[in-house]
Amino acid sequence: MTLSAVSHQQKRNLLCLLLLVLACIGSLILALTSGSIEISLPDLWLVITTDQTSLQSTVVNELRLPRALSALIVGAQLALAGCLMQVLLRNPLADPYVLGVSGGAAVGALFSIMMGLGSFAMSANAFIGAMVNLLLVFGLAHSQGSWSPTRLLLTGVVTAAGWGAVISFMLSISQDHQLTGMVFWLMGDLSRAQLPGQHSLVFLICLLLSWALARPLNLMLRGEMQAKALGVSVYPLQIGLYLLASLLTASAVTQAGSIGFLGLVVPHILRLSLGTDHRLLLPASALAGGCLLLLADTLARTLIAPQQLPVGVITAFLGVPVFLWVLQKSNRGLV
Amino acid sequence: MVNPVFAAPISVIDDRQNTVTLQQPAQRIISLAPSTTELVYSAGAGNKLVAAVSFSNYPEAAKNLPLVGSYNQFDLERVLAYQPDLVISWYSGNQPEAIEQLEKLGIAVYRTETRYLEQLPETLIKIGQLAGTETAAQQEATRFKQTLQHLKDSYSTKAKVRVFYQVWNQPLITINQENLISQVIEVCGGDNVFAELDSIAPRIDVEAVLKADPDAIVASGMDEQRPEWLSDWKAWPSLKAVQDQQLHFVPPDHIQRQTARVLLGAERLCQQLDRTRRINVESQQGDDQS
Repeated sequence: MTLSAVSHQQKRNLLCLLLLVLACIGSLILALTSGSIEISLPDLWLVITTDQTSLQSTVVNELRLPRALSALIVGAQLALAGCLMQVLLRNPLADPYVLGVSGGAAVGALFSIMMGLGSFAMSANAFIGAMVNLLLVFGLAHSQGSWSPTRLLLTGVVTAAGWGAVISFMLSISQDHQLTGMVFWLMGDLSRAQLPGQHSLVFLICLLLSWALARPLNLMLRGEMQAKALGVSVYPLQIGLYLLASLLTASAVTQAGSIGFLGLVVPHILRLSLGTDHRLLLPASALAGGCLLLLADTLARTLIAPQQLPVGVITAFLGVPVFLWVLQKSNRGLV
Repeated sequence: MVNPVFAAPISVIDDRQNTVTLQQPAQRIISLAPSTTELVYSAGAGNKLVAAVSFSNYPEAAKNLPLVGSYNQFDLERVLAYQPDLVISWYSGNQPEAIEQLEKLGIAVYRTETRYLEQLPETLIKIGQLAGTETAAQQEATRFKQTLQHLKDSYSTKAKVRVFYQVWNQPLITINQENLISQVIEVCGGDNVFAELDSIAPRIDVEAVLKADPDAIVASGMDEQRPEWLSDWKAWPSLKAVQDQQLHFVPPDHIQRQTARVLLGAERLCQQLDRTRRINVESQQGDDQS
């Protein structure tokens, strides 16, 4: 590879990331200016630049901004977690929920709804549920000392099925008014989103850590044996990936319930169109995931306003055609 | 007393236009919803109930009835074990397959489905006919009609009050005009701000409420307690209902159940909305003077 080729490659990568950042900013502006209460671009500028309290400024600051930032972070976390999970499990069907993290979180959240606890307790219990799952799956997959991605995958899938049974049981013994809240939680819903303070910190740390692992991740794509031969300590890397992906998913699910589909498809779309270099793929997945979820959420709350749609419906409507189109066009390998 | 053997069969048409025929007045009735239990008691046939479903909590005597499950999941075998001669079901609440199964097994089923307030007295009379308690049912039906008419005469023609009815907070759910609650609001001279939406219990967002800026916000929550989340609206001081302190609570059993008790909820709501109306009038007069 010549020097000019390298710099050409780097330029292209930077350009991609720059475009994605611009797309995120564009979606953010769109999200802040759409809704039942009319707020135009100049209005938005006024709200940002002056301190005056008006209906418009409260709507932007209290409703739209927390929800939009939350959508960006959740989308980014899910896409990044999906990307890591697909490498870890060496399986193109892997998504952030495949190892049961969302199931554990759902049981925690549904339990809180059943008990009539507030939204803080709900987030806390969802996070605890996710952590219980993380330890359970890790412990079980690990017990005989013969750790392998396949073993991890099977343990996770079966644990997830177990959580699924608990969820069905809880749904069937709940009262009507609780049921609506539960179903919306399970479908994923950003309407109760708060400013994602500590969650954005979790995201940034996980992004930096996984980005630092980008080179060994690239080597892992050649297979475990080759990676080992090239000096990658595979076992610690796998544990690190598992912890990072689980933590990201737990944080995302705590904020917005289990929004499906995004974590599976965004990494694939980018892998097909940008290639498998994780130095580019990881930040690009995060940006594209955040941007897609923010767009989808804006559509979900405005398409048939004032009625609201579940955001998962829109992510699938946007993501499925894009994915199929990219898949048709591409001749690259998947994982 | 007429010997039942020679009595003519009783035949009524239920709320779903099915004919229900009994050879003699029902002696063993099972109610498959909390609301139908109330209806049977109102029709004067409470002492003929042999079983009901969970949350049948009114009147007091209903709490002692044996249970056959909940309205959406009941034990078919247990229903049969009580050998009922009449089952009162709730069309949009019970599972249709289970109800059809009961009919196949030869049990007479009356399906209730209340779309209009005016339907309730008719349903009471029909249940009374089937249970042989028509006189008591007629009395209750007349009382219902009179009270409803009285409320309509007193309130429905007064100046309109714009109302947002909040079913639940998380997710935020309201009602459209097809819902019985919306009709109660109309009786009280209220205007449901979300009457025109497509779905019967539409999910909306906070912004839609801010935009509609109703005169009053009414909520019921899940039990006799005023729901805590009703006060959450105070975070939006720009709302007229918050400025005027018109956040009203109506107990859910008095307004969400399709029974004679809906008049209790209506009475309470009418008084609350009348307070809102007076505030509107006062502030209008204030505006005119200034």
